[in-house]
Amino acid sequence: VHIPDGYLSPSTCGTLGAAMVPIWATAGRRVRKVVKSRYVPYVALGASFSFIVMMFNIPVPDGTTAHGVAGTLSAILLGPWAALIAVSVALIIQALFFGDGGVLAIGANCFNMALVLPFVGYAVYRLLSRNMTLTNPRRALAAGIASYIGINVAAMCAAIEFGIQPDLFKAADGTPLYAPFHMSQTVPAMALAHLTVAGLAEFALTFGVIAYLQRANVPVLRINHPDVQVDGVMPERRPLGWRWAFVGLGVLAVLTPLGLLAPGGAFGEDTPANLDLGKYNLQAVPTGLARWSAFWDHAVLGGYGFDSGEHPNISYILSAVIGMAVIAVGVYAVFLVVRFINRLRNNDDPTRAASASP
Amino acid sequence: VSSRTDELVRQASSVTPEWLLQREVALCPCGCIGKRSKVSFIDKTISGASSVLRQALFTDDIATRRGLLQRLDPRVKTITTLAIVIAAALVRNIPVLVVLYAAALLLAITSKIPLGYFIKRVWLFVPIFTGIVVLPATFSFVTHGHIVVPLGHWFGHRVGLTSQGLRSAGLIVIRVATSISFVVLLALTTTWTRLLAALRSMLVPRMFVLVLGMAYRYVFHLLGSVTDMYEARKARTVQADNVVRSGRAFVSATAGTMFGKAHAMSEEVYQAMVSRGYTCQAQTFSAFRIRAIDVAWIACCALSIVLVVGVDRAIGR
Repeated sequence: VHIPDGYLSPSTCGTLGAAMVPIWATAGRRVRKVVKSRYVPYVALGASFSFIVMMFNIPVPDGTTAHGVAGTLSAILLGPWAALIAVSVALIIQALFFGDGGVLAIGANCFNMALVLPFVGYAVYRLLSRNMTLTNPRRALAAGIASYIGINVAAMCAAIEFGIQPDLFKAADGTPLYAPFHMSQTVPAMALAHLTVAGLAEFALTFGVIAYLQRANVPVLRINHPDVQVDGVMPERRPLGWRWAFVGLGVLAVLTPLGLLAPGGAFGEDTPANLDLGKYNLQAVPTGLARWSAFWDHAVLGGYGFDSGEHPNISYILSAVIGMAVIAVGVYAVFLVVRFINRLRNNDDPTRAASASP
Repeated sequence: VSSRTDELVRQASSVTPEWLLQREVALCPCGCIGKRSKVSFIDKTISGASSVLRQALFTDDIATRRGLLQRLDPRVKTITTLAIVIAAALVRNIPVLVVLYAAALLLAITSKIPLGYFIKRVWLFVPIFTGIVVLPATFSFVTHGHIVVPLGHWFGHRVGLTSQGLRSAGLIVIRVATSISFVVLLALTTTWTRLLAALRSMLVPRMFVLVLGMAYRYVFHLLGSVTDMYEARKARTVQADNVVRSGRAFVSATAGTMFGKAHAMSEEVYQAMVSRGYTCQAQTFSAFRIRAIDVAWIACCALSIVLVVGVDRAIGR
């Protein structure tokens, strides 16, 4: 997924680079809080490890070999924040020293491979390995699946970065100035490559390393899993936390712009003007439909856009953001009301009030 | 003081002998016999590791030669390289980028970089990756526009190579080559320690630079133990080793062992640092001085960038 210079416009690189700066700062603070004065050697050796693992040729069937990124592996072994810095440092060494991956594109490459990949992979790994002991064989499988999902999401991010280039940056005669492929071409191309060869290589590497460490070097695995029981039966099965609901909703929110790619409309949601009457053997729009479809025409963002119809993409995303904010405020209001009523009922009930404050 | 230290360093460090930087002809799996067999993943990793080492040795040799770019202050060199790469990204006309690439070649000659090596290093990479990637973009399926090379009809539509597609592909290939050339110029003419010192004086946090430097140093250490493990495996292999399953198990075991080693090493390094008085405060020593040649270089670069971007905008499109 290494993006060289010249594929992305300077503004794309600048945006992603600027987004990475506060993330690096946060990562530095979080890691230093955990490992304290060990920070420099801990992260540096982690970075050397990621650099070399990126060089490994992993045999896949038919005699070919592929490289892994091992972002999820680093996140499982070092923790996601330390992995963020370690993979970033490895990418910077590659870019500055070997010309592998661009220098302007460092921000974009770090965003895809040091931020998205380890964090998505680690979240999936934590979710799948929730109630497993440290030496449970299924934990290695969970790590492999997590790395497979992680590298595919990272590849998707790269595909989106490539895909927005021809629409945003083109010369007067329509010549694309940077990466020439549209999102409808980059997304399938990257998905095909990463769902098959690269994803499998990543899966094999992560699964293999975790399985090997479970057999041969459990103390190393314990570094990032201090409170997980090594073997036997887990005493209690923890239920899924609330936080995962937010993770799921966040993913859905981030994926919203994909709706821009979808052609056509949903069945049964056409306005009367767009209805193909002949298809339904109708002569005219049914009177009830004609009357009630125009009953309310005071929508703030009618048709997910501004009244003037300018900037359809920006207004579509803006509509989504406003809609999500309105729903969030509404849900929060309901939550406040429910809590308020609960308190009232507790105060009214003398037995509960007595037990609460003896 | 700085130039005197440089002189001492230059005298002390011997140049890597020629034979060490060349690939062994006899051990090459292709070529001499004329029959090419598939290289196993073990050989690929070993040769990858040795090429990293070879590149590091070669870079050190070139960075200590007396050329134009080697004389410049590393801070100045890093900033101007970044500015030129940004300028290359802003340019929209192929001829302007060709001129910029020619300038990179000229700088390579004046910095005593072997021209053949310099061109090969950039152009071996560019056609393989960039060329194949942008090739489909020249067709009218991807980039719509004026068809210049018609290739027949497809469901009633004319298909062929479009002028927009060809221009776009050419633009990307030459831009990628130019950007890589300037980054390679920076990497080849600056030793890693001087590059790190330059980064440190450019608002990059000190801790981060410390991590970068230590990571770079231990890459070579870990590379040594990985090579040992792979060579041991190769030495014990009697037949051609093409079993994918056991190969994957071996790769994972190597990576796992390497992580164990890296972690133990980080603990030892930390203890060594503490016993030498490390108190989480990185102390650094910088002896850089901006000289007349640096000022001249900055002026020259600024002028060229303004000229390049100005001419590019004047040509338009």
